[in-house]
Amino acid sequence: MALLKKSSIWIAFIVALLGLPLLFDSILAISILNQMVIAIVFALSYNMLLGQGGMLSFGHAVYFGLGGFLSVHALMLIEFETMVFSILWIPLIGGLFGLLAGIFIGSFSTRKAGTVFAMISLGIGELIAASSLIFSSFFGGEAGISGDRTFGPTFFGFDFAQNIEIYYVAAVWAFIATLFMYLFTQTPAGRMANAVRDNPERAEFIGYSSRKVRFISFCASGLFAGIAGGLFALNYEFITEENLNAATSGRVLLMAYIGGLGYFIGPIIGAVVLTLMNSLLSNYSELWMLYLGIMFLLTVMYLPRGFAGFIMMHQLAWVRGNMKLLIKPYLVTTIPALLFTLCTIALIEMSHTEDEVFHYLGLVLNPASPITWIVILAIAGGAFYAVKRSLLQLNDAWETANAIPKEEET
Amino acid sequence: MAILSLIDVKKNFGATEIIRGVSLDIVQGEKHAIIGPNGAGKSTLFHLISGRYNLSAGSIRFKEQQIENKPPYEIARMGLARSFQVTNIFQRMSVFENIRCALFWSKGYGYSFWHLLGRQTELNDEAMHVLEQIGLTEKAKFPSGELAYAEQRALELGISIASGAELIMLDEPVAGMSHSEAQNAVELIRKITEGKTLIMVEHDMNIIFDVADRISVLVYGEIIATDEPKNIRANPKVQEAYLGEVHSA
Repeated sequence: MALLKKSSIWIAFIVALLGLPLLFDSILAISILNQMVIAIVFALSYNMLLGQGGMLSFGHAVYFGLGGFLSVHALMLIEFETMVFSILWIPLIGGLFGLLAGIFIGSFSTRKAGTVFAMISLGIGELIAASSLIFSSFFGGEAGISGDRTFGPTFFGFDFAQNIEIYYVAAVWAFIATLFMYLFTQTPAGRMANAVRDNPERAEFIGYSSRKVRFISFCASGLFAGIAGGLFALNYEFITEENLNAATSGRVLLMAYIGGLGYFIGPIIGAVVLTLMNSLLSNYSELWMLYLGIMFLLTVMYLPRGFAGFIMMHQLAWVRGNMKLLIKPYLVTTIPALLFTLCTIALIEMSHTEDEVFHYLGLVLNPASPITWIVILAIAGGAFYAVKRSLLQLNDAWETANAIPKEEET
Repeated sequence: MAILSLIDVKKNFGATEIIRGVSLDIVQGEKHAIIGPNGAGKSTLFHLISGRYNLSAGSIRFKEQQIENKPPYEIARMGLARSFQVTNIFQRMSVFENIRCALFWSKGYGYSFWHLLGRQTELNDEAMHVLEQIGLTEKAKFPSGELAYAEQRALELGISIASGAELIMLDEPVAGMSHSEAQNAVELIRKITEGKTLIMVEHDMNIIFDVADRISVLVYGEIIATDEPKNIRANPKVQEAYLGEVHSA
């Protein structure tokens, strides 16, 4: 029973991984799901560095990208029958190459954490990204390299031509990778990574070289980033410099941070949310990067522990059975907040649009007319005021819900 | 028999000499206090012994082996543990995790990433046992950074002694505590260092005369006397350099 309880979250994870493509089976949905599982592995591997090891990296895409490049080369080997093996093993090849890169780069970059580490990671990132354009025999220059995943031996009749088949391959790998990354946190090396993050000096006085502890996390992180890169290669069948440059490194940092660095599940949430925003928002607005930036800013400012931290904040109220006290104030705050957000988006989009009419939420607005602007501004102002008012109530409700009951105080 | 020997140890930062030739033998099993006015170099001496600083000259032997200029982790693995003047714990980890991490090396786990901690019953029991000794059993799951000051000091002590080191060095273990807290801490120190060698830096004279078998007086980077407490009290050089200053203050 205890075992069942312990593994219930993992069973839920399996059910979600296997069940989602049944619920959302459009081509777009499968493509998004594929991106999502890749992002989950990548973001979790990043959190091994930052959240668990205290190493802020600006170049984590290097291991993802290198793993991906080698994986595409492996696809080519299969295609030209230089070697024959199932493409199921491709992510492992990516992972091993990520691990190798991690061992090599980690051997000198993990001497110090903090700014020194961050700067080295940035430098390495730039170096590899620049090299990838120069050494075009391996990296294929700006066009990148591409392969074909359908040439290898079939697996029980599957030839992996369909995205959904690759999704299941990716889901299995993502599950294995997630499980092992979680188990790593439960080992002495994983715990010492936390200890070194908190206090590298003290770690040395209980018998551990901070550098070696960091190095081990760094290599493990490289391994899993490489696996994610391999999954990427399988999914897209091509890879370019873009997948190992600073922009990709920045995106994985965003995912982990927005999700919540302090929780194992945080980067998973971040990966899901950002992938969704990436793929869905970009359909609706050219300005989606701007909204992403605003969301990042707001998260850093108001939810420093990320989405996972926000959810976990409610643990106490939940345990005390006081969640019902919070529902109404949350609604009262969320509705005007949503209205305010929609108005702000309308204003931003209207400033951007060059069309005569602007279609928004079923309304037809005229961006040229001052009245449109005044009305939206007025609604936004009213909503903002309402949010400020209801926040006070929410605060009170929060205090009540989390207050220590009288009998517990003594 | 000396468990730790300092032979003409010197340390300078640039042109400033902090430790100006200290020689000292710590006998196995003794409780040895180091006292001296502020800026005498007591903490520096601790840092030199425990490997945080490199020596400028001289040599340090621990259990018959040269340890000067070795990294702190190698010295710690030999069985020399220390605490810090400013609380130095793993703030974001739970109290239990702090102690368990301090046990890893001595229990032979090294850098293992193949042992699952949930299954290491002996290790976990041992960690709970240490928590019991330092009186933090009920705070086991508490984030250590949120403990009260005296509790953090107790944890600091727990991390230092958890590994079962033979030589324990405590840097002002009761600094900043109230009188009753300090009394409790002294009891705790006595209990957990039983049968071990202790070197302690402390300002509170009552505590020192209470705990120490021998006292060394460090003044401006030199040891001017090493003796039993009653002789230290009577030593005119010490009275002039140190105790006199305290009495007149």
